[in-house]
Amino acid sequence: MLQRFLDPAVLHGISSLDLVAKTVVDGFVAGLHRSPEFGFSLEFAEYRAYSPGDDLRHVDWNLFARTERCYLKRYRGETNSQLTLLLDASNSMKYASGTVTKMDYARYMAASLMYLSLHNQHDPAGLIVFDDEVRNYIRPSTRQGQLYRLLAGLEQAEPAARTDFAKPMQHFQQFLNRRGIVLVISDFYEQPETIVKAIEPLRFHGSEVVLFHILDPKEIYPEMKGPAILVDLETDQRLEVIPDYVKTQYRAKMDDHMEQMKERTRAAGMGYHLLTTDKPLDRALTEYLSLRQAAWPGTGGRVRGGA
Amino acid sequence: MGFLAPWFLAGMLAVGLPVFVHLLRKQTTVPRPVSSLMFFEQGTQSSTRHRRLRYLLLFALRTALVLLLALAFARPFFRHKTVVASDKLLLVAVDDSFSMNAADGGSTSFDEAKRGALQILTGKAAGQKAQVIALGGQMRLLTQPTADAGELRAAVESIASGDGHGTFGELGRGMRAMAETVHTPMELHLFSDMQESNMPGNFADMVMPGNVALVLHAVGAGKMPNWTVESVQAPGQLVDTKKARVIAVIAGHGTPAAARTVSLVVNGEVKATKKVDVPADGRASVAFEGLDVPYGESRCAVRIDSADGFAADDASNFAVKRADPERVLFVHQAADARSPLYFGAALAAAAQASFVLQAITPEQASDIDPTKYAFVVLSDVPAVPSILEHTLERNVEDGGSVLVATGMAESHGEHIPVYGGNVEAGHFYARGSAAEDAFATVGDVDASHPSMRDANGWQGTKFFYAAAVDAGKARVVAKLADGSPLLLDKQVGEGHVLLFASGFDNLTNDLPLSPAFVAFVDRTARYLSGEERVSGARVVDSFVQLHNPVKEGAGAASTGAAGAGATVDIVGPDGKRPLSLKEAAQAESFQLEHAGFYQIRFANGRDALIAVNPDRRESDLAAIPDDVLKLWSGSAGTTAPADEAAAAAEATDHISSLWWWVMLLVLTVAVAGSVLASRYLGTQREQP
Repeated sequence: MLQRFLDPAVLHGISSLDLVAKTVVDGFVAGLHRSPEFGFSLEFAEYRAYSPGDDLRHVDWNLFARTERCYLKRYRGETNSQLTLLLDASNSMKYASGTVTKMDYARYMAASLMYLSLHNQHDPAGLIVFDDEVRNYIRPSTRQGQLYRLLAGLEQAEPAARTDFAKPMQHFQQFLNRRGIVLVISDFYEQPETIVKAIEPLRFHGSEVVLFHILDPKEIYPEMKGPAILVDLETDQRLEVIPDYVKTQYRAKMDDHMEQMKERTRAAGMGYHLLTTDKPLDRALTEYLSLRQAAWPGTGGRVRGGA
Repeated sequence: MGFLAPWFLAGMLAVGLPVFVHLLRKQTTVPRPVSSLMFFEQGTQSSTRHRRLRYLLLFALRTALVLLLALAFARPFFRHKTVVASDKLLLVAVDDSFSMNAADGGSTSFDEAKRGALQILTGKAAGQKAQVIALGGQMRLLTQPTADAGELRAAVESIASGDGHGTFGELGRGMRAMAETVHTPMELHLFSDMQESNMPGNFADMVMPGNVALVLHAVGAGKMPNWTVESVQAPGQLVDTKKARVIAVIAGHGTPAAARTVSLVVNGEVKATKKVDVPADGRASVAFEGLDVPYGESRCAVRIDSADGFAADDASNFAVKRADPERVLFVHQAADARSPLYFGAALAAAAQASFVLQAITPEQASDIDPTKYAFVVLSDVPAVPSILEHTLERNVEDGGSVLVATGMAESHGEHIPVYGGNVEAGHFYARGSAAEDAFATVGDVDASHPSMRDANGWQGTKFFYAAAVDAGKARVVAKLADGSPLLLDKQVGEGHVLLFASGFDNLTNDLPLSPAFVAFVDRTARYLSGEERVSGARVVDSFVQLHNPVKEGAGAASTGAAGAGATVDIVGPDGKRPLSLKEAAQAESFQLEHAGFYQIRFANGRDALIAVNPDRRESDLAAIPDDVLKLWSGSAGTTAPADEAAAAAEATDHISSLWWWVMLLVLTVAVAGSVLASRYLGTQREQP
């Protein structure tokens, strides 16, 4: 029943991104209850000595009473599977043939992933918003209030400029010095080799990199009844296009682009998923959990000792 | 070009609507945003131009639709000068009288006239209305005014040469009657041999009305020599063939003195031939003694050898009936011996002994069948047996005839048998008085009546007694000097009752002693016996009476089997029956239109063979002098030559409305625009 809340068109009516994320994840989790493979980290794993700055909520007070030492209680899956979301906030993400823009869809997806990561998995989650530069950076953390910071970052991420993968990627190296899961959300209007070349270094730290290719359905199957003047949302360039071209050559080029994206990313050891804005969000969440499962099999996540 | 409602042209301002739709709205088209133009390319110019061209074509059609609608409401027209020949009615008259059969060379004048008429119709302007007229004994309109050339030509082709006597007076009267209803100018083309004998006695009769332009086309070779059998005198009924005599008059018109061979033909067989010298442009008579014809009716003719271009008038027909003498029933008082004596003597002297008198008294006549007698004479009979009177009345109703002489005996009784009237008074004139009014004389005589055709001696007869009779509806044939009717003819049913208001003896008058009495008895006997009606020769276009046009109420009610509903049977010269069944039962008279022999069976069962000859005035081919023709055609105010007349036309301003054409164009443009718009604006189907 709650699956319907995964529909982007339904989520569009919810103004609060927090509520969107909660609705999506709760609905998603409720739909997964029959799958034990995706258990969460509620099972005890180890104790770790308290260090200043740690969250006091995780202190095992019973052990403190017996030993008068502060230890933090660690659970399975509560590992260093740090999630970093790279969100494309270029102008092209404003496009929408219906009610949900690609940016909206990306926001819903990012919020849901962050909620799932922080609230359910207790993994640190961070956010990098970029267009032709890095617009916002929220470092991954599990601290209290991290989710709201991330959601606020998403709210502020308004499309403003054109996409340029090469330039911001130089900075990504500085921010991503720990291994984890890196999810790139964009419409990828760039040459596939350029994209792969720019994103591929993120794997060098051992991170799992997955590309979520967000497209509007009308970008794949455009409708054009007559010759029209098209305006590029990023460059404001105008072009007169005829329907015959759209129905034949454009479709071929778009298919070729998506195919190349798929092949090249997989060749580079990265994941690739094409998502259209009319599809539910569960696919992205499933992919995230699958990555986590694959990275640390048997535990639902690999337990790493020490901070 | 002009407009009947030019203010509707303001509607052309609505052309701004398609301009707005096509041009202004096109400029406000919002460009479509896309994420990236990375995969798009500029459309080729040719394709775009093609699309714009279709737009422009639709724009042009819609603009034209608005303009044409405004134009249509403005009611455009254009004024043009056209040759309007249709305003003038073209009349083509072809003379089909008997003289048109004259031939000079190969073709007859009639053929030449028809060719000329067809030529005029061929040369007439398209759309000009014309009418075809045949002019013979009567003027006949063969078509209504029509522009259909085929109908007009067919009408001319249908004209056949006739045997009638043409008269230009009839043409003049017809045109004057037509001018009373047709007020447009008329142009009459007359194709005729312009025979002088066709002119009426009064030139004014043939003058055309003011709106008729007469164009004369004289056909034929004009005056050429022509011999003809002008007249034949022969008995219509004969008893003794050896006593019969046929006298023929041979006439020459414009001919030199020549000897002609004259033949007497009986039933196609030449019985006798004689040579006669005909003086130059004169006449000669030839007599044939004896007429050997068989019993019954014979078709006879007097014929001359053909030596001219008009062979049709070289014979003259006449019919002869050979029969035993017919009996005439004479009913008289036993004491009256003079009447049958005088009447019988006169009857024997006249009518070539065709009648035998049978004199009886009223008492002997009770069981007499009157149908066995040619006619019945009631002489001075105050009262007849009722059976006889009734029988006589029935006989008269069925076509029989009775001659009633009142005599002095009638003064004793008021009722006149069979006649139906009463004797009002008997007038005795003083006999032997020295005064001039001691006796009565005959005043007026109707010479047109068959009984009085040779009544030259009636003026000198003296009448000592006459009965005063009310004429009523009877025809007064003769009157006495004091105005009292003397001879009355009353038609009862199909028959006649002739009433003589005096007697046939020499006591009441001295008519029996006069030679005029023989002629009177002769003519009366022929008239009452019906021989006058059925024998002899007639002229073409004369009439034969078939039924009594006036039937009194009582008479009609008592009409017998041979009366109402009885039909006549006529077989024409061509062997066909010209009357339909309805006409045969109701027609009052029949016109003998063709020369030849007509076989007629009347309603009372009598058969008659009637010979019909063309009017011999047609044989004189002398044409009307040119000055008279010019006067005639000039009297109508024009002397247009034939060639110019055919093409005569008037240039007139005509206004032709273009409304229908513009509306047709509007419809076409609207349909084309709809088709183009539906093709262009239709939803394009996407490929899956």
